Amino acid sequence: MRRRDIALLVVGIGIALLLPRVLYSALALRIVLWALFAVSVDLLLGYGGMLSFGHAAFWGAGGYAAALLAKSFQLPFPVAAVGGIAVAMALALPIGYLAIRRRGIYFAMVTLAFAQMLFYVVNELRDLTGGENGVQGVPKILPGISVGRTADFYYAALPLVFLGLFIAYRIVHSPFGHVLVSIRDNEARAQALGYPTQRYKLIAFVLSGGLAGLAGSLFAIGNSFASLELLHWTTSGSAVLMTVLGGMGTLWGGGIGAAIVLLLEDSLSSVTEAPGVVTGAILIASVLGFRRGLAPALQGAALRVWDRLRAERAARQV
Amino acid sequence: MKRVLVLAMIAAVVTAACGAAAPTGGASASPAQVKLNDGKLVIGVINDQSLVYADLSGKNAVEAVKMAVEDFKAKYGENALGGPVEVITADHQNKPDLASSKAQEFYERNNADIILDVPTSSAALAIAKVANDQKKLYINITAATTDLTGANCNKYTFHYAYDTFMLAAGTGKWVTENLGKQWYIIYPNYAFGQDMEKSFRGAVTKFGGTVIQSDGSPFPNTSGDFSQLLVKAGQLKPQILGVMQAGGDLVNVVKQYNQFKLGDQGIKLAIGLLFDTDITAVGQDQMAGVVYTTPWVWSMDDQSKQFADKFLKRTGIRPTFAHAGNYSAAWQYMEAIRRAGTDDADAVVKQLEGYKFSDFFIRNGNIRAEDHWVMHDALLAQVKPSSEAKEKFDYSKVLGTIPAETASRPLADAGCKK
Amino acid sequence: MDLAYVFIQLFNGLVNGAFYALLSLGLAIIFGVLRIVNFAHGAVYMLGAFGAYLLLQQWSVGFWPALVLAPVGVALLAIVVERLFLRRLYGLDPLYGFLLTFGLTLFLQDAMRLRFGIQGQPYPTPEELAASVSLGPVSYPVYRLFVIVFSLIVCAVTWYVIERTRLGMVVRAATERGELTRALGIDVDRWVTGVFAIGIALAALAGVLAAPMRNVAPLMGSELIILTFAVVVIGGLGSIVGAVAAGFLIGVLASLGAVFNPAFENVIVFALMAVVLLVRPAGLFGSREAS
Repeated sequence: MRRRDIALLVVGIGIALLLPRVLYSALALRIVLWALFAVSVDLLLGYGGMLSFGHAAFWGAGGYAAALLAKSFQLPFPVAAVGGIAVAMALALPIGYLAIRRRGIYFAMVTLAFAQMLFYVVNELRDLTGGENGVQGVPKILPGISVGRTADFYYAALPLVFLGLFIAYRIVHSPFGHVLVSIRDNEARAQALGYPTQRYKLIAFVLSGGLAGLAGSLFAIGNSFASLELLHWTTSGSAVLMTVLGGMGTLWGGGIGAAIVLLLEDSLSSVTEAPGVVTGAILIASVLGFRRGLAPALQGAALRVWDRLRAERAARQV
Repeated sequence: MKRVLVLAMIAAVVTAACGAAAPTGGASASPAQVKLNDGKLVIGVINDQSLVYADLSGKNAVEAVKMAVEDFKAKYGENALGGPVEVITADHQNKPDLASSKAQEFYERNNADIILDVPTSSAALAIAKVANDQKKLYINITAATTDLTGANCNKYTFHYAYDTFMLAAGTGKWVTENLGKQWYIIYPNYAFGQDMEKSFRGAVTKFGGTVIQSDGSPFPNTSGDFSQLLVKAGQLKPQILGVMQAGGDLVNVVKQYNQFKLGDQGIKLAIGLLFDTDITAVGQDQMAGVVYTTPWVWSMDDQSKQFADKFLKRTGIRPTFAHAGNYSAAWQYMEAIRRAGTDDADAVVKQLEGYKFSDFFIRNGNIRAEDHWVMHDALLAQVKPSSEAKEKFDYSKVLGTIPAETASRPLADAGCKK
Repeated sequence: MDLAYVFIQLFNGLVNGAFYALLSLGLAIIFGVLRIVNFAHGAVYMLGAFGAYLLLQQWSVGFWPALVLAPVGVALLAIVVERLFLRRLYGLDPLYGFLLTFGLTLFLQDAMRLRFGIQGQPYPTPEELAASVSLGPVSYPVYRLFVIVFSLIVCAVTWYVIERTRLGMVVRAATERGELTRALGIDVDRWVTGVFAIGIALAALAGVLAAPMRNVAPLMGSELIILTFAVVVIGGLGSIVGAVAAGFLIGVLASLGAVFNPAFENVIVFALMAVVLLVRPAGLFGSREAS
């Protein structure tokens, strides 16, 4: 791993450990889990060039599956999360297969529509899912450790979150990831070079769905319930917003985007009457202004400062 | 002898004066005796301030609570509660996870002693769990689900203004007895709608009517189109069309009911849950004649009009029952603190349980110890045509009262195990 | 199952289909010239309905003039937005347009909510159309029949203009071979703005038609837009005929399906979309892939 990445990792871990102290634990938990969700979206969008506007399907499927497993079988939450990931990936396979038959904007609309279908289906199966009320009373279990309080759950879940982020990182910095980027840049060329591009795209989709499922599983268990909100298209929209805001194609940008959007939502909740106006305006400004997102802009600014410092130091040594 | 008589008279006068000075409703602690746990009383109001219920409760419900605090201090003195009182609020946007998160923040970070309001059943239930975990008080005013005093009841949760049982007991009974016995019920196919259908079916059957059929409409309803069910009603030709849809769905149903001229065909409309905001959206005259049940109407008597006038001056609108309910609940909570002498949750719960009272919002009130449902009289109201309205928000007149016993679900059916 | 009842449901299906058709048509047209998928199409529909409401409320302008004035007003507004924002995204990946219009949707819906509240505003059925007509055993509102007929006429006129007139020819040339068209001295940009305005006007018109029948509220278009996306995927995004045909078809299918199982109504559109994607990925009427 490059030195810069290690530095980022240390900073990231530090922030993650301190977050519940600075904010309050429920908000901190939401930020790190949405960050993982946004990263899963960025994996497809920034590196695969595929905008999925229906990723709430996997976040939600993972959430419901984990919640039901934890509640029905009193499973420890990491085990329930594995179940959630499995369900999310199983769902991502057929959806991805159908969706990648279209490209670009069509792909986005198709994923959006499938997620909406899942929303209605889950609503219908209300004997299983509780419909509007959702699955309530989901226990937080870890053998030997009490994780009932949100603050405790946060630290217990953090390793899993980092595992997910690490997996995303490894996917991106791997031969698979490089091929994915080349498909994004020029699919025809990649095909000409002999790569089965559809298969790569499908694998990326399923992996991304699994990560979203992990995040969703932890989210549902952390909240002690799973509700239809998890599957609504506005949830997909929020994840995309965070990715675009933070920076497409930079994994950690998703984290920044998540933090900004959730902090805004939290503070706006007590202040303004129009969260949508502000969020919408920010998104419009992002798309027009920082088209590459805040992370690269920040990164660029940081690099310029760093370069100037180095140049000054070199000048002084002369 | 004369001295004894004079002493006795003085004693009698002094006793009478003391008795007159004490406020009604039982013994109260004098200000110096209320000791707050952390020196401060924090009241949290969590509701929908940007979506479906924003007009019904929303920011103005917070104003109502603030009014209650101010009036309480005016009555009992600045130090009535043994310390400063703070009202904090958050918008849950009808999202149960946001509601749960905010409730935790309020109880943990802001040391909130109580949370009020909370519309939307899923959010209401989520906060009930948080309140129980945190062992702090929660009085729900604006959600309808009977689960708050049933499957999800707990020691710290109280259900104040209305529930689906009350609505059915009122409207179901009166309409069956006075307007028609053959019902066709349509309802939104989710927990609230199913709850309403069950309650209404029970009430209609109990009072001598029959439900020919009931059909659920998909929820959420994407198209806003209810023509399929309305055409079916036109075919079945019941005497009464019972509509359990709420909010925007209800507006669509009524608009389309009028378009299909079902009223002209002798099919009368009975609405399960009706708010003033719905009447505004459809139009008062389009809803004229509709009968519904409500805990309170602002124009019902002088006490209520007094409150409504104060509210109008402060917020520019007439209060809905949610606004009035928040004021009343906040007031009764503060009274309970004075009786308990502390804001400690367990002590206040003891003071609330079994408490009987009346104020402008609650008549013949009794807070049941077993399930924490606040029994009280409900009202049967009817929407009047705009020609009879004395001012802009004068929508309804009161037809009758439903006594508390009839309006409350029998304990045996509740299924509450605290 | 009563056959007459099913027959009536057919009409209900056509009414819903009319809305899908008008919205999909506008979406397809805008995509055709701008290569932007307008996420804000549902918000435009909502603005059309509010336009009708405001015209009535503030200036006592009735339904019939509103059918023209509201779409024109909303289209003018949209042109301003196009000049200011959308123009910057031409030539870029359509994804950006999608995201920008998504942001616009959030903004518009919340702004309207701030101004008007969430619950909805009253709008009456126009006097002339308030009667009912006997269709078999059921009395059916004339207004609904009007919606069906009027929408069909509008769709037919639009089709004719695009496929058979000079304006349409220029538009088609501009969308398929923009550079070449410019080289021939035709001011493509002006035509593009015009056609964009037509696409917007169609959605706003649908909103005006909806006002007497549906709750005029800020979120009235928010679920409808997702359905519209599914409809255009089924019909084929590049195809005018496809958008209209798919719209009516789906409206009818959903209504008939709902007779057997009410829950069907929501799910059928997406299930159909899945089938179409498997069998004919370009859409029922689509000929080439839009990217």
